Amino acid sequence: MSGTSIWIMIIGVSLVSLLPRILPVALFSRYEFPELLKQWLSFVAPAVLGALTALSVLAPEGDIEISIYNRYIWAFIPTLLVAIKTKSLFYSLLIGIVIMALLYNFV
Amino acid sequence: MQKQELKQGIKDSIPIILGYLPLGFAFGVLANEVGMSIIQATMMSVLCFTGAGQYIAIGVMQIGGAIFTIILANVLVNLRYLLFSTSLVPYIKGQVQTAIGSLLSYGLTDETYAVAMNRYQNHAPTASYMAGLNLSAHIGWITSTLLGAILGSYIGNTDRLGLDFALPAMYICLLVFMTKHKSDVIVALSSAFFCLLIGYLVPAAMGNMFNIIIATIIAASLGVLIRERD
Repeated sequence: MSGTSIWIMIIGVSLVSLLPRILPVALFSRYEFPELLKQWLSFVAPAVLGALTALSVLAPEGDIEISIYNRYIWAFIPTLLVAIKTKSLFYSLLIGIVIMALLYNFV
Repeated sequence: MQKQELKQGIKDSIPIILGYLPLGFAFGVLANEVGMSIIQATMMSVLCFTGAGQYIAIGVMQIGGAIFTIILANVLVNLRYLLFSTSLVPYIKGQVQTAIGSLLSYGLTDETYAVAMNRYQNHAPTASYMAGLNLSAHIGWITSTLLGAILGSYIGNTDRLGLDFALPAMYICLLVFMTKHKSDVIVALSSAFFCLLIGYLVPAAMGNMFNIIIATIIAASLGVLIRERD
């Protein structure tokens, strides 16, 4: 791809990735959503996090990998326990990263 | 500008930046390999800020695909932000000026969304907080891309640092924070299930992340149904 094509590609990707983030806030902020829709939207965050967690742990490389060889599953368990126990993002991250590093280097 | 809120936003972005480091770095390295200059790679992270979308661009460039393919794939990958952004509206409305809120939504990603939603459960959104969180995360993404593009050829395998688990660990922890009611737990679990099921049945959905959108729609609807009952 030539230099110019790359710039065109970058600008195109920029438009399609930014508009879906900006437009809803820009357009919908003047309206009051109906109660049912608000309730539905309040479940979007837990649903998204459930999906992201599942994908990042069970399909870390993009394909579903449910096996004992998947390091992410082994790191998931202690991280979840620490998150529930400490309610601290810092400790959860710390334990997750340390365990992942140990698994990578020594297992 | 509220200093305290800005600081809190910056502070809350640190785990995100930690997770972006290896991802942005790797993007910088790969972008360089497929023929993008350091400036192009860095500007792509400035203008796009879409990890999955940028990786797709690299993948398509690697096999000599068309610009149109890259943009179309990015339309699909970024469609989920319509949903994220819309679900932020009830919180932002009346708290942050629409123009400023829209501009700062430029920095909306899976990670900033999750962190912000967690914060807004107990704190009203402010423009300062949004700016602190979104801009710092974006700067982290840009900086790590730049580092990758410059240093890529000198540094070997970064997997051994364990940073690959930073974002999964963050998702896990925020998931624990966000699921206070039984209905939230059911929604999160069913979304996880549907997301994997759809990904398994339609592998293409894994690539363009449509499984996240569909699973979220199903699970949120389920949430409304079960909350109606209790």
